[in-house]
Amino acid sequence: MNTSRVGGLAAGRRTFAQPKMDAKSETVSVSQNTAAWPDPPPAQLAADGWLSLSEDERSFARDLREIFREELWPYRGLAYELTRRDIRIRYKQTVLGFAWAVLMPMLVVMAGATVRYAMAYIGGRHLGIPDVAGIAIKAVPWSFFVGSMGFAATSLVGQANLVTKIYFPREVLPLAATMAQAFDACIGIATLFVAFLLFGIHPGVAALWAPLLALLALMLTAGLSLLVSCANLFYRDVKYVVHVLLMFGIFFTPVFFEPQMFGALGARLMMLNPLAPIMEGLRWSVVLNVNLLDTIVVQGHHGAVLAWSPWYLAYSAAWALVAFLVGLLVFHRAESKFAEYV
Amino acid sequence: MAEGLIEFQHVWKKFRRGEFHDSLRDMVPALASRLFRRRREGLERREFWAVQDVSFSVRTGEALGIIGPNGAGKSTILKLLTRILRPTRGRCGIRGRVGTLIEIAAGFHQDLTGAENIFLQGCIMGMTRAEIAARFDDIVDFSELAEFIDTPVKRYSSGMNARLGFAIAAHMSPDVLIVDEVLAVGDWRFQKKAFDRIGEMVRRGMPVVVVSHQLDRIDSLCTQCLLLDRGQVIKRGRPDECIAQYINTGTQAQRENDGDLPFRVTSVEIEPKGPLRSGDWLTVRLKGEVRASTGPENRVGVRVRSLQNAQVVFLLDLTSHDPRLSGPGTFDATVELQMNTGKGYFCIETPVWNTRERRELGQGPQALTCVNAAAFNGTANLHPRVHVATHPASANRELWSA
Repeated sequence: MNTSRVGGLAAGRRTFAQPKMDAKSETVSVSQNTAAWPDPPPAQLAADGWLSLSEDERSFARDLREIFREELWPYRGLAYELTRRDIRIRYKQTVLGFAWAVLMPMLVVMAGATVRYAMAYIGGRHLGIPDVAGIAIKAVPWSFFVGSMGFAATSLVGQANLVTKIYFPREVLPLAATMAQAFDACIGIATLFVAFLLFGIHPGVAALWAPLLALLALMLTAGLSLLVSCANLFYRDVKYVVHVLLMFGIFFTPVFFEPQMFGALGARLMMLNPLAPIMEGLRWSVVLNVNLLDTIVVQGHHGAVLAWSPWYLAYSAAWALVAFLVGLLVFHRAESKFAEYV
Repeated sequence: MAEGLIEFQHVWKKFRRGEFHDSLRDMVPALASRLFRRRREGLERREFWAVQDVSFSVRTGEALGIIGPNGAGKSTILKLLTRILRPTRGRCGIRGRVGTLIEIAAGFHQDLTGAENIFLQGCIMGMTRAEIAARFDDIVDFSELAEFIDTPVKRYSSGMNARLGFAIAAHMSPDVLIVDEVLAVGDWRFQKKAFDRIGEMVRRGMPVVVVSHQLDRIDSLCTQCLLLDRGQVIKRGRPDECIAQYINTGTQAQRENDGDLPFRVTSVEIEPKGPLRSGDWLTVRLKGEVRASTGPENRVGVRVRSLQNAQVVFLLDLTSHDPRLSGPGTFDATVELQMNTGKGYFCIETPVWNTRERRELGQGPQALTCVNAAAFNGTANLHPRVHVATHPASANRELWSA
């Protein structure tokens, strides 16, 4: 029994020189069977990139090239088709249909307005329309994030029949779940835009920051979706952990409130949440028409509080970029084991 | 466009039995050992090789059939080829666009209509939207589901599902084709249509890998064959040779556990061993022993089964020919059969059965013979008497002019 280390190329060369069997083949015993079939010339093996390599012949540079050149770009059509499917099936056989896309952020806004009303009452102030608008603009990315994480966590395990039976880059499954949520977010944004006009809030030039913030939210969410979907495939407890974190996450993310309400140190701590600068940035730029390159210091009850700094934006951007790339790489590395472990 | 090519080079694949992570207590030492030892060479506890050092390549104009018992690693090889699994050692891959006729309905979503699923499944298989749109009508025609194409797939019967799946897969014009046991779908007529479609792709010179238990299909489609058992290549060569050995190894395993049969057939030999012409005589020589004095209800005989449809073509009861076969001792028997059959493979079996309980008790060894030349197509020669009258065209013309 030949159990010596067989490392692709080396093995190809080693057996290539061996004499071939007659064309009319006889029964081949197992120890000989590597010699019975003519091997292709080794030069061809080295040149062709289409051979699937074994687990120990890989590198990060190769991974990145594979992800973008061989997986995401050629399969963009599939990602689009799966997104369409996710959107369609979500609203098939439902009574409310696309109203669901608006309902979820609307509930977040109502919950936020209730909490803020109580806070304003205690503080002896009046709850203004800009306050509610600020909650509304943050409710959309929050619902997007929650929805994406929830659907992405089960995107691989829920489609195990696809994962074990047909080859395609598995990245498209959690990414499609995220994109379907992004579609919902777009409906939410359109509704919000109309509502803003009705309530007399007219976004200014600073609102042009919003697409960048949306991109950051998308990258951060996509990266985390990839990680969560892949982790849940190996350890099913991840799904429950994600649900618990999302349930309480709203208390640690400035959706209902603003970081400066927590004082100087509290605001900084709250802004450590990578989602916080994205949400606050949306509020400052769209509702309050503030250029995000400015630094804003608010005078609170206990002294000056740093409410916004461009560094917050950089911090969030770094998170988004790192999460996206790490998500893709980790996912890609684990991908080859999916069919065995799912 | 480079032509399609299938390559499998010294591939090993390791699997584990049982649960993967039983508890945290097992996981921690496992992780630690992974950190300190970079590569694990041999097998660890509960691991086994599903594929052991298998190599082959399939080029244009070649079709490789893979046969073997369940658990031989056939499907694992296809999954390695299509990149669903990654080899533990070695390399494998496919150049060109892969058409997979494996689990052809796996990508369907039950809530979507047939038409929506055509686009979805087509994309999963690697077609672009434009390509699918261009072939949409052909796909619907081939599947014969035109009137149900706007019905959700969850209301389809399993046959309709399979037909739609096959129709999509059959229209993707791949460079390389991989087929796994999909011919057993749909009704008889659709099976034939599907088989013809695959045959057409093979004739066009597309490299093909076929896994099937329908051995006659392997024989008629493939140019080469690989016989696998427990992840190892047992034999490679012409399909008929591999099929013959497969059938014979299959029965060796069976022979070990028939200790309590009243008859034990120890060997079957056929003469001639090579292919026959229809109408040739085949001599079957049996050696066997009678265990103990058995009642007249226990019988041993020779059975001829067509591999094409697993149908028994002929059964001879040896016991009724010689009553002494019911006493203990050994026996030799020679049976001469005139093979008035059509073309195909025939398995010579040696069954032992009980007439009172009407059940088969077991089987002795088998032999395989092949009839490769016949003046007719079908199962049996009915000795037709044929009269054909011919009327030359020139005579007709004279009639008309008269």
